Amino acid sequence: MVAPLLVFILALALYPTVLTTIDAFMHIDALTPPNHFAGFGNFTAIFSNPEIRQSFENTGWYVLFGVMLTLVLGTAFGLLLQRRFRGRGVVLAIVILPWALPGVVEGVIWSWIYDPTFGVLNSVLKSLHLLSQYQLFIGTRQIESILLTSLVQVWQITPLATLLVLASLQSIPGEVYEAARVDGAGWWQVIRRITLPLIRPGLAIAAVEALVLSLNIFDQVYVLNAGATTASSVMSVTYFTTFQGLNFGQGYALSLLATVVTVALSLGALKVLYRKVTF
Amino acid sequence: MSKRTWTNSTAFKTAATAVAASLVLFGSTASASPTPRHASVSGVTINVAIAYPAPPKAMLAKFTSQTGVKVNWSYLQWDDLQTKIAAAAEADTYFADVTDVDWSKVGEYYVTKWFLPLNQYFKVSSLTSQYPQLSSFVRNGTLVGMPMDVSLLVTTINEKLFRKAGITSMPTTLDQYTKDLQTLKSKGIVAHPLDIPFAAAEGLSTYWYELTAAMGGQVLSASYKPLFTAPSSAGYKAMAWMVNAYKTGLVAKANLDYEDYQGFETQMAHGLVASVFSDYSGDIGTVYDVASQSSVVGDVTYSATPGISGAAPNLGNPDGIGIPRSAEHVQAAVEFIKWMEEPANQAAFAGAAGPKNVISTFPLPSNRGGLSLLASSGKVPGAADLVNLVENHGRAVFPAGAPPWYPNFSNAVYTNLHSAAAGQESVAGAISAIASEVNSLNS
Repeated sequence: MVAPLLVFILALALYPTVLTTIDAFMHIDALTPPNHFAGFGNFTAIFSNPEIRQSFENTGWYVLFGVMLTLVLGTAFGLLLQRRFRGRGVVLAIVILPWALPGVVEGVIWSWIYDPTFGVLNSVLKSLHLLSQYQLFIGTRQIESILLTSLVQVWQITPLATLLVLASLQSIPGEVYEAARVDGAGWWQVIRRITLPLIRPGLAIAAVEALVLSLNIFDQVYVLNAGATTASSVMSVTYFTTFQGLNFGQGYALSLLATVVTVALSLGALKVLYRKVTF
Repeated sequence: MSKRTWTNSTAFKTAATAVAASLVLFGSTASASPTPRHASVSGVTINVAIAYPAPPKAMLAKFTSQTGVKVNWSYLQWDDLQTKIAAAAEADTYFADVTDVDWSKVGEYYVTKWFLPLNQYFKVSSLTSQYPQLSSFVRNGTLVGMPMDVSLLVTTINEKLFRKAGITSMPTTLDQYTKDLQTLKSKGIVAHPLDIPFAAAEGLSTYWYELTAAMGGQVLSASYKPLFTAPSSAGYKAMAWMVNAYKTGLVAKANLDYEDYQGFETQMAHGLVASVFSDYSGDIGTVYDVASQSSVVGDVTYSATPGISGAAPNLGNPDGIGIPRSAEHVQAAVEFIKWMEEPANQAAFAGAAGPKNVISTFPLPSNRGGLSLLASSGKVPGAADLVNLVENHGRAVFPAGAPPWYPNFSNAVYTNLHSAAAGQESVAGAISAIASEVNSLNS
């Protein structure tokens, strides 16, 4: 029964992991052959490169914004959609839509929204008299650029978080809420004392999903930010190092670092957030 | 109360770990088996991966009827194509029989040996007189790829807007060009008359190279040493000019986010700017004179690029085609390249035979035979002007050919130039950072 899954994991996760781990310690540069053992040379080069260090900092911001916003919005939308109302099915279908779109397509759509000449965002803010003239949103200020790029990814991954939260909400028996109401609990108390603790498994998965995707953000950065360091991410730097600079050894080292950090933070998030829930 | 367990924590953690790992890792190499080669090409199907849309089916069918070779043409975006070429070559796996050899990659491919030298199929000495941009594809006598087109960095001017500002004769020097742009701005004809694509991408680097050439210099020496570090050098002055144009409003603030094609399509094609100093040859026919995407049809012309005291060089950025080392049908690939190079076909791709045989966005024929057919056809706007620029002002970006580390160099150029425009570093700082990268790459 488990054999196909085992083969799948071995072939697509374990095998590349082992090869990447080995190659991360090799000098593999298409422009300066031959390949040879480099020890920690690739890692030393990575950490001494200010542009790569900048991408580490930027990625930290991506993770912070991505996880926080996804969890807050996913929980809020989940709570809203838990209620029965007319057209709920249609709303659910619309909510899921961004999840189905490729990251590059979303990047292009949002580049039109953020466009400093024709963009919808400028138009809306100006018509609300919040701006006196059209603004350049991405490119000049680091945090603003990262936040707006992160929002595009949040727009993409929030639907899954919403569905996870919604599934968790629907698994909570109605009797629990009835008992709380009988005991005189208010709306906020119900949310805080009952809902949030009981949807922790769903929230934990949503958090790991947001964590993994925001740690590995690439498409949106590439489309909205091109090669600028202002809002570069670890994955965009990995791409440029590997496929533009042809320094595959450093590319593997960056990938290995990203993997280790992703796994460590994912396990950490699970340890903090996950609680077995039984009714 | 019923008892439900939401999920099993151990299984979930294992799965999450596996998913996390697979999401961030990319696969390593796979070994390739020896590639069979056929003496006879009839009946063979070749895969062609190019950054141009396919020519019309009827044209490819003609090639098939001539040679018996069928062609699977895959059109990939340029960036995606470069990634696939690098990944396949590094993994030593089959990718395509014919693919793109960009001028900027020739040094890299010469060192990595990812492409078969074409010298045994095409004689370089006899090609030189026929191909104006051949030198971009030859390194130390090795023909890495055949030119697939001729492409130049050219200056385009919206003459209608210039005349509206009272400018009757188009600028021939850089000083006059700068004054004219200031006039266009001060008279309010357009708020920001110049397009410079300041997004951190390749188009920004080539803009700087072209402006450096217009100021009478070049960015790297024949031995790839930086020639732009002195404030009196052409490269330094070109960068200062570009950043100053941005800071003084000749260029819109929005351009910090715009790549080259965005500037052409959203600004020049809609009369929001009056000139592109470093435009792509062919843009009048493929963008500005296309009524469905332009509001400046008939207003834009190719102008001799203004230099210090007259017309400046126009740097070439041609695409080529070559045969990857892992190609399975080398002889058929050679036949296909020869067919692509036929002057009549080259002229047809560029529009000499009317729209039905055009390859969309194809700039100019790679060889003089094709250029001559195109110019005499009279079917493509500005073609005769462009042929004149090719013959009289065309020059390679790097006289010694693109360095093998060109992508790293370009990356340093566009990231630092972008940062200088964004106010994150000074021009001197950007110049110093680029020079430092060049020195590091040379060592």
